Amino acid sequence: MSTLDWGRRYLLCRPEHFTVAYEINPFMHVQVHPDPELASAQFETLVAALRGAGAAVEFMDPEPELPDLVFTANAGVVDGDVFVPSLFRHPERQGETAHDVAWFAARGFRVTPLEGNEPFEGAGDVLPFGGEPGAAHGPVLVAGYRTRSTVAAHALLGRLLGVPVRTVELVDERFYHVDLVFCPLDERRALIAPQGLDRYGCRVLEELVPEPVWLTDDEAAAFCANSVVVDDVVIMPSCTPRLGKLLEDAGLSVVVAAVGEFLKAGGGCRCLTLALDVDLSAGRSAGERPPG
Amino acid sequence: MTDATHAVSSEVVRLDGHVVDSLLLAKVLDTIVDAGASYEILELEMGTTSADPSHVRIRVSAADDAALDTLLAEVQVHGVNREDTSDAVVVPAPADGVLPDGFYSTTNLTTWARVDGRWVRSGRPEMDCALVVMAGSGGENAVQMVPMHRVRAGNAVVTGWRGVRVETPTRADEADGFGFMTSEVSSEKPKAVSLTRVAASIREAGERRERGEGGGRVLAVCGPAVVHTGAAPALARLVREGWVQLLFAGNGFATHDIESNVLGTSLGVSLGEGVLAEHGHANHLRVINEVRRFGSIAAAVEAGWLGGGVLYECVRAGVPFVLGGSVRDDGPLPDVISDTVAAADAMRAQLDGVDVAVMLATTLHAIATGNLLPAGVETYCVDINQAVVTKLADRGSHQTLGIVTDVGLFMGDLADRLCGAETDGR
Repeated sequence: MSTLDWGRRYLLCRPEHFTVAYEINPFMHVQVHPDPELASAQFETLVAALRGAGAAVEFMDPEPELPDLVFTANAGVVDGDVFVPSLFRHPERQGETAHDVAWFAARGFRVTPLEGNEPFEGAGDVLPFGGEPGAAHGPVLVAGYRTRSTVAAHALLGRLLGVPVRTVELVDERFYHVDLVFCPLDERRALIAPQGLDRYGCRVLEELVPEPVWLTDDEAAAFCANSVVVDDVVIMPSCTPRLGKLLEDAGLSVVVAAVGEFLKAGGGCRCLTLALDVDLSAGRSAGERPPG
Repeated sequence: MTDATHAVSSEVVRLDGHVVDSLLLAKVLDTIVDAGASYEILELEMGTTSADPSHVRIRVSAADDAALDTLLAEVQVHGVNREDTSDAVVVPAPADGVLPDGFYSTTNLTTWARVDGRWVRSGRPEMDCALVVMAGSGGENAVQMVPMHRVRAGNAVVTGWRGVRVETPTRADEADGFGFMTSEVSSEKPKAVSLTRVAASIREAGERRERGEGGGRVLAVCGPAVVHTGAAPALARLVREGWVQLLFAGNGFATHDIESNVLGTSLGVSLGEGVLAEHGHANHLRVINEVRRFGSIAAAVEAGWLGGGVLYECVRAGVPFVLGGSVRDDGPLPDVISDTVAAADAMRAQLDGVDVAVMLATTLHAIATGNLLPAGVETYCVDINQAVVTKLADRGSHQTLGIVTDVGLFMGDLADRLCGAETDGR
């Protein structure tokens, strides 16, 4: 087994201003407020779990009017020193982009937005898979569309980064980002929640993932796919005995970082993190580097 | 109009990206078929490596525009986009009656032009016209098919093919009453079947009129042989009993119809005995002369001089008729429009609501009328000469059902079907 060659450096944002101020997914109810102290404690538990697994963690400053800035997975997509910022579908989150862009620009990333005005929600809807050394092909991007991002955005991203895209439709409104139905575990395995996909999407992932780990309805609904993988450690918002055994049998160890307060806004462990060390260059042929 | 059930709307769409490995192409094609629509892959350019995007051009066809729009909206989320999103290119007409270079020449099919980002449906289709964009009231644009001679300097004329699409009729099932019949003509076809079809068509038009849905007007186009063969009394009966709403003919038909009712002859031949009446060769001229004295056919009816026949019934029933002239006309009758361009315009002006046309033993007027009719009009051509029907179809009036038979016998049977058998012992 070859562990992922990315996922050892993350961007997070402390939940100082995190709340549920609007409703843009089925989990958000403005009457149900997260407990700030509990949210903060859960967040620090997640940070500790990441560090415990050996990951480096960086932080961006929270902003008072942007409660969802904590969900850094949606800031954009990182590929080497390129940062492709998101274009949020909902106006409520569009204010985040300026802060995301400023953070990446200040750290020397080449900020390269997609052409046009296609909604695109970053790593929340785009996850790399495969591409181990000696594999038939480099990494591909597994991308989810319909609820938040569009097919056209994924096509533009694939062209920009020179990487093949496997676009799957998200057919269940509960699983509004692809990181709620798909989680790469290593170069051969991934958690997949078929509940959020149609038969075409299931077929695509079956073809792509040599050893899929299919989630049960309960596991999918508990956001088990919204996990962060650091080498052989899977940091999950929750886990079932069945799934835990499956993962341990596969040589992975499970750490549960309960982030229940963030689930009130529809986000789990993965949503709270953005991998900064993704490099898709193995999937590109020479001369296809993105424009500088 | 019946063309809604027979028409097909189609649009060329594009799908780009990693659409093969993502099964997006499969999903889109499945969605099209599941919606009862059909597709034709016009181009499929596969990426050479898995990193290369593929490009697909697909023609999607659905039952009608509403179904097509719904389907395209559904597949748009999967990345399917209409290929032609450009507006029609309009160029001002350089002079009255002169079209700009590259003008779009119309067909007799319903046509749409894209104006200011919106598809606008043309008015009544007519072949061989220009497509003119008119700024309508309230900012709504209208698109009209305008014959060359009626285009005015400065009119916005559509040129080229971009931003223009045409609804193509489909072939209806055999079981369908009329459907789309490509030059369907045979002298061996059972006449009773054709007769039943024509009668049903005219009866259904009557039902549409009664329901007040618009349309349902029946046009009869008549040649002189209608009178020579003795079909005129049957046609007069159909007019009298309300089965005909519009009549096109020429000087010959009108003259012989009047001659037969005033003098009992047609071109001097006694319709009762079939022999040439004494000095009969001049009968039609004497009749024309009398009508010219009255000033019009309606005036001759008014004065009680003309007391029967097809045109008499038209005047009595208020059924409009247009008599188009030709070079060989005697007289002509005062009602005949001898300027052929003006005659065609007069015919055009009467065509709204016509959705059944019966061409009776006439070459000239059948083809002239065929040129003016939208493709959706159910057209029957009754002629003893198969060439007339074929000629009509070859000129683009593909919707024609030809019935090769003697018009005299056919019209008698048709009148009996629609009006009930004659009881006056005729």
